[in-house]
Amino acid sequence: MKQARRWLLLAAAMMLLPHGAYAQKKKPTKTATPAAAAGTGTTAPADADADQSAPAAGATPPANADQPAAPANADATEATPPPGGDTAGAGAGGMDICTITPDLPQCQAAKEVNMGAEAKKAVRAEIYAVQQQYVIKAQRFEIMPYFAVTLNDQFVSHDAPGLALNYYITQVLAVGLNGNWYDGLNSEQDFNFQNRRAARIAVPLNDYQVSGDLNFTYVPMYGKFAGFGDFIFHYDAYIDGGVGLIRTKPVAVIDPDNRKFDWNNLVNFDVGIGFRIFFNRWLAAILEVRDIIYSERIESTTIAQGSTTLPLNSLQNPLNPATWYDQGTHITNDVQLQLGLSFFLPTSFEYRLPK
Amino acid sequence: MKRRFVSAVLAVLAMAAILTAWGRADAQELQVTGPLKGAPAVRQLRLYREGRLEIAPTISFTLLDEYRRTILAGAQLNYAIKDWIAIGVWGAAGVVSSPTDLSDQINKVAPRDPLTAVNVIHSGTPYGNNGSVPNFDQQTAQMQYVIAPQITFIPFRGKLAIFNKVFVDADFYAAGGVGFVGIKERGNCTACSTPQSFQLASSTKVAPTFGVGFKFYPAGWWSLGVEYRALPFSWNLSGFDSRGSGPGGNFPDQKIDSQDESFVFNQMVTISLGFYLPTEPKISE
Repeated sequence: MKQARRWLLLAAAMMLLPHGAYAQKKKPTKTATPAAAAGTGTTAPADADADQSAPAAGATPPANADQPAAPANADATEATPPPGGDTAGAGAGGMDICTITPDLPQCQAAKEVNMGAEAKKAVRAEIYAVQQQYVIKAQRFEIMPYFAVTLNDQFVSHDAPGLALNYYITQVLAVGLNGNWYDGLNSEQDFNFQNRRAARIAVPLNDYQVSGDLNFTYVPMYGKFAGFGDFIFHYDAYIDGGVGLIRTKPVAVIDPDNRKFDWNNLVNFDVGIGFRIFFNRWLAAILEVRDIIYSERIESTTIAQGSTTLPLNSLQNPLNPATWYDQGTHITNDVQLQLGLSFFLPTSFEYRLPK
Repeated sequence: MKRRFVSAVLAVLAMAAILTAWGRADAQELQVTGPLKGAPAVRQLRLYREGRLEIAPTISFTLLDEYRRTILAGAQLNYAIKDWIAIGVWGAAGVVSSPTDLSDQINKVAPRDPLTAVNVIHSGTPYGNNGSVPNFDQQTAQMQYVIAPQITFIPFRGKLAIFNKVFVDADFYAAGGVGFVGIKERGNCTACSTPQSFQLASSTKVAPTFGVGFKFYPAGWWSLGVEYRALPFSWNLSGFDSRGSGPGGNFPDQKIDSQDESFVFNQMVTISLGFYLPTEPKISE
């Protein structure tokens, strides 16, 4: 029992021992030297971005005062010091950025850029405020599955899964197709029933089956946000518009005994505005509001007063389909909110010029 | 006594050693080295909100209205304790209230007869005709005012480029609080087929309110905001007798009371123009 204090003290010392093992000698403070500036001759890392990965073995290592010494037992690739100050660290207990996000373009393959050859290339005279956007969309395909919910129809909701396929001709302009499948998801609201029962009126309703459009997309805005002052993500905003077809049919509300509607093909125009948040350089989340505008064919609120035994082409016969539709023009806006994902293919790209 | 003291000190030291050892073992963080080691995500950030008072006139437009749409004019007053949190209040009054097309259609088409006498306003015996005065929209509920103390969180702060020419700072925020909503809806009645029973009565609803929005800062002393907001609560928008009897109380009972209210999300979009005091924002390190 008298030894208890000594054992406790020994236990405390043993627990504290690992702290000593983690301690490192303080490095001499030196100002970081930009890798490119310190490069020798005409070879330099292709990109001095903070995301820069380590080049493959054999690449000319830039001088950097913060570079840790390569461990003696490291293999050839690991032994090559990385170019950027914050991307080093494998030998110092740090972590290579390429081990975290191996899909980064600069991690796909080691590369060297001949600065002399690059300097001879034609350079666009226009200088952009942001020289390298996070995602290059030009000449890439975008596959965008989404789910759309109705925003403006209190009577019937037309929710739908959808798919958009776009090809970006330039960084800001794309052409593509999109389609929505509504059939089976049209949902009449209780609100209609309440109105019919209370006021003895019926509102003509329509179901949708499918729609498809040829669209052009323009991306006028992009930017980035810092989240909680800690991480940064990139986004862009786009507008799109096009023309296509939508198949709809009235729900027989006024005379359901005699009216059996079939689907109608109607020309529609669509316009939208969307917001895309990039998770990485090929995957993003999208949020879009789209208005599908078309001239709807709705059920007539009047019923032919003749007998059903009259000739079928008689306008007095309630079985005559010509009497089922309202003759007026009904411009309809189906405003929907789309939430989905955006996949860019190919998943990697190369910047035309070093940053 | 001395022995007990030494034992206690040793025990505390041992416990501290164990706890600190556990803490160290769990801290497997990404080791960033080089010039960016320990650096914040953004340097020299303009702190548009921190320590500043925001006075923002607002105009709000209700969305997805069934019988009546409302435009509310008001203002927000916010004080940001930090750049990511602010406390404040939003107040607005309904300045424009107009019937929807559905209200017009009901007024025009709905018959005035004994079957609709409880639900559709009429001029008395013998009920009047379709489209007659008084109009149906006189029985539909109206939003009079909103006062909402709220807390605003600003998790995202950034910038955007428009046409590669115009650059503005922006932030994204979420606000939540309690809304005190002054409304007018058809008053409770038991003899509800008389013209007098269609008169509106004032009341105050207490409801949660929440919204998300963007603020754009073209300059340090003013901003432009766009916000989506919801004020969910139950009220009788149409003035109909919808519930109160039968199985589950889902059938009309010829009375107007709280059972005839329906839960409505009450969505709106708000545009604001914010002005800040002091006029110069702070700059982070």
